[in-house]
Amino acid sequence: MTNTGKWRDLDKLLSRPGNLVNPGFEPSPELKDDLGEYTKVLVVGAGGLGCELLKDLALSGFTNLHVIDMDTIEVTNLNRQFLFRLQDVGKPKAEVAAKRVMERVSGVNIVPHFCRIEDKDLDFYREFNIIALGLDSIEARSYINSVACSFLEYDSDDKPSEETIKPMVDGGTEGFKGHARVILPGVTPCFECTIWLFPPQVKFPLCTLAETPRTAAHCIEYAHLIKWDEVHSGKAFDADDPEHMQWIYSEVRNWHSSVNMILIVLLFILLTLAILSQALKRAELFGIPGVTYSLTQGVVKNIIPAIASTNAIISAACALEALKIVTACSRIMSNYLTYNGLEGLHTKMTEFVRDKDCLVCGPGILLELETSITLQKFMELVGEHPKLLLSKPSVTYQGKTLYMQAPPVLEEMTRSNLKLPLFDLMDKMSKDVIHVTGMTNKDDKKTSCLRKLRIVFKGVDGITDVDMASGA
Amino acid sequence: MTESKTKYDRQLRIWGEQGQAALEKASICLLNCGPTGSEALKNLVLGGVGSITVIDGSKVEEGDLGNNFMVDDSSVGQSKAKSVCAFLQELNDAVKAKFVEESPEALIETNPSFFSQFTLVIATQLVEASVLKLDRICRQTNVMLICARSYGLTGMVRISVKEHTVIESKPDHFLDDLRLNNPWPELKRFAESIDLNSTDPVVHKHTPYVVILVKMAEEWANSHGGRLPSTREEKREFKDLLKGKMIGLDEDNYKEAIEASFKVSASRGISSGLCQILNDSSAEVDSVSSDFWVMVAALKEFIANEGGGEAPLEGSIPDMTSLTEYYINLQKIYQAKAEADFLAVEQRVRNILKRIGREPYSIPKTTIKSFCRNARKLTVCRYRPIEEELNSPVLSELQKYLTDEDYSAAVGFYILLRAVDRFAANYNRFPGLHVGEMDEDISRLKTIAVGLLGDLGCNGSALTEDLINEMCRFGVAELHAVAAFIGGVASQEVIKLITKQFVPMSGTFIFNGIDHKSQLLAL
Amino acid sequence: MIRLFKVKEKQREIAENANGRAPVKKQSAGELRLHKDISELNLPKTTTIAFPNGKDDLMNFEVTIRPDEGYYRGGMFVFTFQVSPVYPHEAPKVKCKTKVYHPNIDLEGSVCLNILREDWKPVLNINTIVYGLHHLFTEPNYEDPLNHEAAAVLRDNPKMFESNVRRAMSGGYVGQTHFTRCTC
Repeated sequence: MTNTGKWRDLDKLLSRPGNLVNPGFEPSPELKDDLGEYTKVLVVGAGGLGCELLKDLALSGFTNLHVIDMDTIEVTNLNRQFLFRLQDVGKPKAEVAAKRVMERVSGVNIVPHFCRIEDKDLDFYREFNIIALGLDSIEARSYINSVACSFLEYDSDDKPSEETIKPMVDGGTEGFKGHARVILPGVTPCFECTIWLFPPQVKFPLCTLAETPRTAAHCIEYAHLIKWDEVHSGKAFDADDPEHMQWIYSEVRNWHSSVNMILIVLLFILLTLAILSQALKRAELFGIPGVTYSLTQGVVKNIIPAIASTNAIISAACALEALKIVTACSRIMSNYLTYNGLEGLHTKMTEFVRDKDCLVCGPGILLELETSITLQKFMELVGEHPKLLLSKPSVTYQGKTLYMQAPPVLEEMTRSNLKLPLFDLMDKMSKDVIHVTGMTNKDDKKTSCLRKLRIVFKGVDGITDVDMASGA
Repeated sequence: MTESKTKYDRQLRIWGEQGQAALEKASICLLNCGPTGSEALKNLVLGGVGSITVIDGSKVEEGDLGNNFMVDDSSVGQSKAKSVCAFLQELNDAVKAKFVEESPEALIETNPSFFSQFTLVIATQLVEASVLKLDRICRQTNVMLICARSYGLTGMVRISVKEHTVIESKPDHFLDDLRLNNPWPELKRFAESIDLNSTDPVVHKHTPYVVILVKMAEEWANSHGGRLPSTREEKREFKDLLKGKMIGLDEDNYKEAIEASFKVSASRGISSGLCQILNDSSAEVDSVSSDFWVMVAALKEFIANEGGGEAPLEGSIPDMTSLTEYYINLQKIYQAKAEADFLAVEQRVRNILKRIGREPYSIPKTTIKSFCRNARKLTVCRYRPIEEELNSPVLSELQKYLTDEDYSAAVGFYILLRAVDRFAANYNRFPGLHVGEMDEDISRLKTIAVGLLGDLGCNGSALTEDLINEMCRFGVAELHAVAAFIGGVASQEVIKLITKQFVPMSGTFIFNGIDHKSQLLAL
Repeated sequence: MIRLFKVKEKQREIAENANGRAPVKKQSAGELRLHKDISELNLPKTTTIAFPNGKDDLMNFEVTIRPDEGYYRGGMFVFTFQVSPVYPHEAPKVKCKTKVYHPNIDLEGSVCLNILREDWKPVLNINTIVYGLHHLFTEPNYEDPLNHEAAAVLRDNPKMFESNVRRAMSGGYVGQTHFTRCTC
């Protein structure tokens, strides 16, 4: 019998048994339907990678998709973000991308979210079975990674509980190069385990910019920094977020969206021109050639060159892995693919290993406590616990500083917590993660270390016991 | 104009206006517009190629809706070429999009001259027999050809072009051209004008490392009978000598000098890669030689004469710790030398053109300039005719791949992709098309694949059962994600071929979607 | 994993009710590392630290340096620190809030300290930076100038530099530039 329906090709892969598949593969004609019905996917970013991901996932049998992006469409997106047209410029990327894919692929539902990833709470992210990342910043990757890893739970043997693993596929491109990776928190390295893979941005020494500039980039960067100060010194600006982009957005956030867009574009052009003019003056003064509008834009916006083909390749690899993770229809890549099309074509698969002590995805150390234990008592316990032996501990819980040994000003502010029950300080959660810094003896040397602890309070009603049992 | 400049900004930063102009002049022909072909064209239309012509004789079926983004529900029953063409046109109205509703196989058979109007043909999902005919046609008319195929979780991309020459190969990491091992008089003179023992600490820590190395190399040579440091021991001593000149621990210029000290010891003259190009028989030029080879001939003369064994100087210097004034002066010295070298090469190009009976100014100055600037990075790619590869692959490589664990899956797919075409030729359908005949198909495919390997003089035992099973399981499915990957790779190679920038892949790319251990096979 | 997703669907409701609300805020790896850095701070006695947003925002703080030797003795200089969520992958952003006449700090508060830009490495920490800043006051140098005039004076006429620093710190003019008083 030959399937001639819409999913004629995909069905072959999902309904036929194979030997090179992932454990747990259950081929059946219903697998495609289950894929659509039970899998909720979040695509983070609706840019070059995001557009491709939405299309690839929609045509890989996923029907329940969400996409989140805070950006609006710009003309410079059109050379690769194929879901957008000239008349869409100024509209939210997430909304237009979702609409276009739904128009083209029937049966697919895509919910757009035109906002920052930080605007959504944990319950929003919890809903998704898998997250596909199409981002261009380390900060955003790190954020989503920490969110996805926060759902991960370990059993009493420090084994990750499978049902709490929130898999991620992550892509990145620059020009003819890119990477695609799979992150199964608790199983493969998370973003934080391998953050060193992303080289820090090259920064010119300030005094070079000020005194001995040599290249056009030096002139522009100087003008950029100076201009930035001028822009800000006049306003009582809360420098919460130092990036231009953020500043401009926050300036016009509450305006009508179409005005918004025009303003952003204008502000950028004005800012770029102002910086360009300063940079040109400086270049002239020092006799340095090569300062152009295009180069200035590159510095101001931190532009990464991008083309359609690389985005297509990387996104396709990510989407294929998403399909494999969910259906087990083939082996999952292990775990980091690099692609380089600059000189010939090079692809390389690297199997990175987890950082066992990773603060984000590691198991940490399990402690079962009475709800009555005070912070003071808890700290003593941490000093005596054979796996910890942490002296002089400082304690932090989900962004709340519970106790600090130093500096004195913080010690004073947190001292009153010492006699309070830890359970209360942890908002009466039946279980959660807490972090402790302290000194420990290693090879007869005092070294400081930061530990993740999984606290479980005894006798608190909840899912805890069930989880512990099923996980074991 | 400005709008398109803005639209293409992110790619102009990669291939520049010249590359973009080349794309906008190109006319691309696509054979078969399933997802692999549609996705390849999509990326090229977005980038702004001049024109596309979509050739496909089939009608859109329901099954196309599940893997091709360039058709929708309303396209069912319509010409696939027409539907895909219309959706592609939506992406960029600057592109001329045409379609021909005809089967590529028939066109190859009946109208071979049709293809000569194109810059490049992308042939997707074609069986071996058609590919071989098409390759012959394209080679005869100097049309570039890229074959791409998606098949289940595998697929392949292969370029077929007689010769592709690249001036702007833009490699990622390439040693700068500072000539510290062979400084010319003006550079030496500039170095002499600077006192390394300046008492002004600001000047001392801002003397560029190029100057430090030229001076210190001279000092070394004077005390070593004119030689430069060459042994490991000498190189270490030279570094110590540099260290001794530091007056503070934070002198970045000296740190840079120590790090770059190997450049003083680098061997003089041209690389073996360039040497090979100079000695290529095409460098003996006549009236039909391409501009590239005319310039190579001039380069060869230059190196033997004015160049004193060296290629023309590139002329740019990397950023380095320096006073602005020193750096600007240094820049000017390098630029002046590059300009002088260029003028000498240009003269030779003009003379050669005259000699071979061409208009002496038929190669523009800017082209010669770019050629000189990139002389050390010239690249020549040649591709065997596909028929030649299929009939007599490089046996030593094939044997190696078959036994190398990293390559075994890729080479297995390579053989199996050929085997399924033989299967189709024999049985008039692809293996695994029907579930009921699966077991039979597996053993038939195995027989064919083992036979194929045997014909090539290889042992068939290297092919695993698992891979053969898998190939039948795929049942000629064209999965969208795989097609998008293969199409993406194909389009990227098209861009490199048309812009004549960067280096296109060599050999046959085999996609392995099972564990992503894809490989390039040099057969 | 699809089988898990099916099961999860049913479990979700139970889990939601039982586990209570989930915390909205997650600590970034940067915050955790910073927490460690702060808890281990070993500041020179001339230095204090303050957290204007209270104890739960460690990512933004101020360091005050009161040099007890050198040209800047008796002065009080406030630096703002902004730490990124990907700290220590990225160096903190440090600015001098006090307008100061200094060869390595410009009038906008930009600081020329190598470990804040080109030489930052994740193994460094807040303590290193504070010591680096402290060092700028005990040993200002004219070789890496951000304030060109001040650097030239320091190089050519240290006596005059000293008196300029005094004048600036007690709230006066150096050339055309007015400084606010910052002595304690």
